[in-house]
Amino acid sequence: MPKILIPTPLRQFAEKKDSVEVDGGTVGEVLAALTAAYPDMKKNLFNDEGKLRSFVNVYVNDEDIRFLEKDKTAVAATDTISIVPSIAGGK
Amino acid sequence: MIKIEQEAWQLMVEHAQKTYPNECCGAMLGPIDGDTKTVRVALPLENAYPGAQRERYELRPEDLLFAEREARKNGMDLIGIFHSHPDCDAYFSKTDLENSCPWYSFVVLSIQKGQFHHANSWLPNMEQTEAAKEELEYPNA
Repeated sequence: MPKILIPTPLRQFAEKKDSVEVDGGTVGEVLAALTAAYPDMKKNLFNDEGKLRSFVNVYVNDEDIRFLEKDKTAVAATDTISIVPSIAGGK
Repeated sequence: MIKIEQEAWQLMVEHAQKTYPNECCGAMLGPIDGDTKTVRVALPLENAYPGAQRERYELRPEDLLFAEREARKNGMDLIGIFHSHPDCDAYFSKTDLENSCPWYSFVVLSIQKGQFHHANSWLPNMEQTEAAKEELEYPNA
């Protein structure tokens, strides 16, 4: 099963696990399985419209899904999925 | 609260002063014990903002992926992000807020005329509409 690495601040919503293996053939399916298993994770990743929050990037291994097929990006059982924040700012 | 250890702090201040008059940015790694986050390692990262870096910074997601992997490799956590405000105070601006991530601490270093002046740490909320000041402890420069 694909493995999702859980960022430290979100581990409190996933029984303190630093990674979780869930079923799914696409990024969308894997994230849906993750938030089904750990519902408190959902509001951190998705907004009220069910879209990924603006500060959430998802990588399959070393590839940013924005440059692949977004939530339809295929994942294999051996893939590792990372949740990476999007951060900028200025005075 | 967030505590920054000497070696990490020195690196953060040096990075901010060296980057002046532009804004700098980087990641902070270390252990989290209950409500106390201890920054043991600072990772200066490149400001990838394509425009005027005197007023803006941007982190590449792949650099944050690298920071996250470094933390995991060393048994630490990615605690937060630091950046500098050249010639102004260490507040959390509207731009900072709108481009933040509520999972992390945001340490802002005020650099005045090229020298470190003061710092604050901020915790943005989920909707990125406000940020609370976090207790911050750092060594004397």
